[in-house]
Amino acid sequence: MSILEKIQTIDRRYIYLLAWIAVLYPLLNPLGLPISIGKYSTAYYNYIDELPDDSVIMVTFDYGVSAMPELYPLTIATFKQLWTRDFTIIVVASWLQGPMVMDVLLGEIDPQKDYGKVYGEDWVELGWFAQAEIGMAALGKDIWSTLPVDYIENQPTSSFPIMQNIKTAEDIDLIISFETGTPGLSEWIRQWETPYGTPIIMGCIGVMVPEVAPYLQTGQLGALIPGLTASAEYELLLNQPGLAISAVDAISVSHLLVILLVILGNVGYFLSRGKESS
Amino acid sequence: MADLFAIWTAAFFTLAIYTFLYKENTWFQIATSIYLGTAVGYGVTVNLKYLRDQWGGIWSSSAFMMTMFAFAMLVGLLWYFRFSKKYFYLYRWPLAILVGTGIGQAMQTIIFAQFLSQVQGQISTPLTSVNNILIAIMVPCVLLYFWFTGYGINRDTGPMRVIDKIARYTMMAGFGSAFGYTVLTRYSLFIGRCQFLLGITPNPPEAKMAFMVITVVLLATLFGWDLYKRQKTPTVLQT
Repeated sequence: MSILEKIQTIDRRYIYLLAWIAVLYPLLNPLGLPISIGKYSTAYYNYIDELPDDSVIMVTFDYGVSAMPELYPLTIATFKQLWTRDFTIIVVASWLQGPMVMDVLLGEIDPQKDYGKVYGEDWVELGWFAQAEIGMAALGKDIWSTLPVDYIENQPTSSFPIMQNIKTAEDIDLIISFETGTPGLSEWIRQWETPYGTPIIMGCIGVMVPEVAPYLQTGQLGALIPGLTASAEYELLLNQPGLAISAVDAISVSHLLVILLVILGNVGYFLSRGKESS
Repeated sequence: MADLFAIWTAAFFTLAIYTFLYKENTWFQIATSIYLGTAVGYGVTVNLKYLRDQWGGIWSSSAFMMTMFAFAMLVGLLWYFRFSKKYFYLYRWPLAILVGTGIGQAMQTIIFAQFLSQVQGQISTPLTSVNNILIAIMVPCVLLYFWFTGYGINRDTGPMRVIDKIARYTMMAGFGSAFGYTVLTRYSLFIGRCQFLLGITPNPPEAKMAFMVITVVLLATLFGWDLYKRQKTPTVLQT
């Protein structure tokens, strides 16, 4: 067997081993590769930064624990930016495990201790709502009856001071969505952005970017953080280094490995094809 | 102590799932089964809580609410006829309600949200940059690529041949972009778990010890089992 044939029939487990090394080595020995701040993360940061202080923001968890490695660093960084301002924040989830992610976040940040934000007055978590798009439509019409009880204290939604003037989508100034798929941006646009004109910004996993990018061009999406690398840029903008920045070296090395393997595979394929034809 | 147990459990399940990279094995099967069971259990609990929050205290407030509640419960119970061969058709009723309301809800705005807005966006794109010029050329080409009917269309000659070629290159670029982002996502997920296993802040530092110990145990059992099976398998003599 020639070396060309060997390249193409290499045991996939060696590739997995290389992938482990490509990820673990830079995590253990950070290379300090430079991070350049791109337009997406700057637009996302500026969008939140330029909001008036009394804005009402609905943060929606449209992802579960399985996507936490990619979206959690962005989520926590966003809350850090939000809680440094005097926004009114309502947290909901269209994905079942969304509240679970918020639990993890609250284990890391204490809004009252770290930012002086009082539950029920400055922010409230209403938890998960059922039926995805239908639930979003119901939420837009009546938040109180769609999510009648809050997630943390199990008290009626209408009893919180923060909720007194917030009842429908028209009372919300911005949706911030973190998401991995359906239900997600398309549904929010159909049920909130189009009928009520509620602006939306979002962070999503890399796979979704080609699907959601067209909404940026039309202006239906205000800003977008695409994947973990943009989250690292956002952490840098906030001056809050977190998991995304520490992952950047590993992303770079692992992607170089993938590029190298793609080139090797193609070289092997074309050379062996040329050999056969000759 | 409870935290330490949680950390070791999380490390074990992460690594047990990754043992699949070596081959299908018992650790992987145990981890996936427990994960599925836990996820379903969590889902059922959250759904029941939602039901309680929605109806608790108000379902018996009036005859109308009681009727509505009884109707909703009845329709909900029909889902379980999925498991009956004889009454399977009853399961189609809640399914039809769900699909019908879902499509109806989406159809209200889909034309404006996802069709007209995209057309308007395409028309109003100013040709002031290379990107915008490329968009103005490529999008119509891809749309024409999927235009199959019409008088006198010959895709092998004339302008349609050029349009088809541009469309194919455009779609290839789109697929390549999607693939690239998919690699980013998969690696991001993997890196996130590695950050946990290495105890990188804010992950608990105790995870690093769990990672090393559990890796040794899992690899030893996997390789040991393979070795044991190889020794037990009689060698076939080739003539």
